[in-house]
Amino acid sequence: MREAVYNSAILDAIPDIISDMATRGLRLTSSFPHVPVLWMMFFVATAAFAADWSVPETQLARKIAAVTGPGAVALTVENRSSLNRRESEIIQNGLRSALEGVGLRFVPDDQAAAAVTISLSENLTSYVWVAEIRQGANESAVVMVELPRPEGSTGPRDSLPLTLRKIPLWAQADPILDVAVLEENTTPTHIAVLDAGKVSLYRMQGGKWQLEQALEILHARPWPRDLRGRLIPARDRLLDVYLPGVICHSSSSAPLALNCRESDDPWPLAAGGSPTVFPSAGAIDVAAGRTSTATPQTKAFFASTRNFFTGVLAPGAGKFTTVPKFYSAAWLPREKYTLWLFAATDGQVHMVDGVSDQAAKLGWGSDFTSVRTVCGAGWQVLAPGSGDAAEDTLRAYEIPDRDPVAVSAATDLPGTITALWTESRGDTAIAVVRNRETGNYEAFRLALACSQ
Amino acid sequence: MKHFVWRWLAASSVTIATLAIALACASAARAETRPQYGGTLHVSMRSAPGSLDPAEIAQADSFTARSLTLLIFDTLVTMDDSGRAQAALATTWQPAANRRCQFRLRRGVKFHDGTPLTPEIAAASLRIANPSWNISADADSLVIERDGTESELLAELALPRNAIAKRSSPNKADGTGPFSVTDWQPGKKLTLAAEENYWRGRPFLDGIEIAMGRSYRDQMTALELGTADLVEVAAEQSHRVSLEGRRLENSEPIELLALVFAREAQSTEDKLLREALALSIERGSIRSVLLQGAGQPAASILPNWMSGYSFVFSADADLVRARHAREQVRAIPTWSIGYDANDPVARLIVERIALNGRDAGLSLQPSLQPTTGATADVLLVRIPLVSADPWVALADVAARAGLAGPTKEERSAEGLYSAEQALLATQRIIPLFHVPVSYATSAALKNSPVRADGIWRLDDAWLGNGKP
Repeated sequence: MREAVYNSAILDAIPDIISDMATRGLRLTSSFPHVPVLWMMFFVATAAFAADWSVPETQLARKIAAVTGPGAVALTVENRSSLNRRESEIIQNGLRSALEGVGLRFVPDDQAAAAVTISLSENLTSYVWVAEIRQGANESAVVMVELPRPEGSTGPRDSLPLTLRKIPLWAQADPILDVAVLEENTTPTHIAVLDAGKVSLYRMQGGKWQLEQALEILHARPWPRDLRGRLIPARDRLLDVYLPGVICHSSSSAPLALNCRESDDPWPLAAGGSPTVFPSAGAIDVAAGRTSTATPQTKAFFASTRNFFTGVLAPGAGKFTTVPKFYSAAWLPREKYTLWLFAATDGQVHMVDGVSDQAAKLGWGSDFTSVRTVCGAGWQVLAPGSGDAAEDTLRAYEIPDRDPVAVSAATDLPGTITALWTESRGDTAIAVVRNRETGNYEAFRLALACSQ
Repeated sequence: MKHFVWRWLAASSVTIATLAIALACASAARAETRPQYGGTLHVSMRSAPGSLDPAEIAQADSFTARSLTLLIFDTLVTMDDSGRAQAALATTWQPAANRRCQFRLRRGVKFHDGTPLTPEIAAASLRIANPSWNISADADSLVIERDGTESELLAELALPRNAIAKRSSPNKADGTGPFSVTDWQPGKKLTLAAEENYWRGRPFLDGIEIAMGRSYRDQMTALELGTADLVEVAAEQSHRVSLEGRRLENSEPIELLALVFAREAQSTEDKLLREALALSIERGSIRSVLLQGAGQPAASILPNWMSGYSFVFSADADLVRARHAREQVRAIPTWSIGYDANDPVARLIVERIALNGRDAGLSLQPSLQPTTGATADVLLVRIPLVSADPWVALADVAARAGLAGPTKEERSAEGLYSAEQALLATQRIIPLFHVPVSYATSAALKNSPVRADGIWRLDDAWLGNGKP
């Protein structure tokens, strides 16, 4: 006979469950860490959970009572599913209450008219709760209920001179190629989300993101696998969209439209397009007594049927108009030149200073970018560190000469990075991560803060 | 003393340098990279299909044959890891009256010979695979009429045997899949090339070469020699292969090992003897010794990950009950137990079952599975469960065992349980184990997930050393 599983105090269980649910809710829903939103989700999640379990609990209790009739039973509950211990304890409590509600009393084995073993099991799509009922020498009866399984999740957690912060922006089931922040006060209030089929504009209203408009991307040819794309806010219109073999410009006034055309025109490597000066950079430079830094105009051609840049640059990086095929690039301004770093498709990082091309294996993976900050040397490369294959970590590096030096602790990400681009403002970046547990795509804004 | 310090310093330096190099290597090896385009993947498989036609290849059913079909052909819908239907060649579907369902076809899809995909071609393809279905073409859509629920239909349509093929001649079937055939030597070798304009995007690999009819041992040798990137591994070898540090990919337990009786139970005595046999089999020790810990002992047709209730059917041996059942029968016939001579572990399992049976007082004679003439009384079979959808899988097992399909009054866990229980009550089939499908891969092969249903998908796979 299996050992009975006894209930723990509900009061002990609730706070953790609530915290679990709030966390899950946060990750399943795209939202900011705003306190009101959190609380709202918390209450919604709590209510939803309670409703979810009570119905099947009652159904199963009725089915069991239909076999045993009212009376004394020995009850055993086993969790054979992915439900965590606290969830299963909540369900056990609920089942006991429901069974008592239909006239069953719980007694030890030797005093029971029937032995009921409830297994909290699951299959591919549902939770399956199975009750095996033995009465005397009779063959055991089996009754069960099923209920759909929700999608689960858990999440990440977070010194050196700099601290890398990640701020959740958006999450969705479809792959996110890029996110652009179009307007912001202290936090973003208007964003554009690029995926394979559209650009979705969202506006923060009443603490919630509301879809404002979805602009369809029309294209004749199938997209390549591992599709990549960029959203770049433009000066005379809202934004430009760069996709393999396709470039789209938004209209300049409402109602917004997206005009897409087949084009192999090069993509800007440094967002900002025209020779802008980063607002923050200029201010800091004055204070620091340095010269302002203009965004380099270098563009690169993207292979229209692949997931990499062809290596052809326009204009070139110094004397180099071609570099090896690469997945991503970062630039670090020096006093007399710009040091370009290219994540080549052969796994090496090519450091091009306009005169020489030095290749090295840094173990950074294929997506990195650079940001301008008020900390350290003023420019840092954000690169995935070495993690296991399922989850990336991200860390900031400075390159005083040719050897990267880590200047921030590694920040855990909930999955692998699928996109990493510098934002047009230059001092932050957007990382898109495919959450290992939920499968959702989550976009984060990455910002470096000086630790001291 | 000085000498000792120097030696200590030298040893420490070497240790630190070694650790640093190891850390650097580990770091470089583990960093994530984007998928790379290019390269040819080499695959080996045991089965040797004589045709690539989805409707025919299903006759020599195996997980590798199913995987192969889905490299060349597409289905109307696919099933995701949670068992939900996803659009493929059909973009939308809508149930209509009279058990009909309308599927709107994706526009702009072409077969490898350049012919556009049309509802007429798709209807003709599905009719060959499903003669009992009523299928008609209607403008840009297909209408399918058949018994069963919509979810069952979707699960059926996702089966490789229902992949859409354009049959231009008796021996030629074109597909719309991610790879097209460049060389085909039936039963021996297949060479595939990436379709540049595949509607889901060109695969990362340039091509795939598949060697057929290779034994497990030959496949493993090819992997060790670096001439194969993806090989099958026998379930009983998976533990050893894993211990050797090889990369192993396993499906969920999706293959059913079972004893199937050639005939229905003829009498009450016959039923009692079948019950005695089922109760006498020590599945636990067979799994530990002969299957080397692979798989799960099973007394149910469906594995628990598909049904959620398989533990209700006890797989424990009960010799007392077995003997009790046998003692109620006076005349004990000798049953022949057939097995597949090409299955390396089948003979050992059958011999062990015969011993277990004898302990219960039964008379069992192992015999090679005859290819012609009289069949054995009982056969040890491997049934690759056809779908992750439990209803579809159960119906398929019933058909293979020569039983009537499960009753489908209620599509619920309880309804499924009743249907499975009814099939088991016929005593035509004695489930033994649910075994996963295992593949070993080279270090170069990336992102070649084996799905829960045992099929490997190579359209998203890539080679780490491939040249873009």
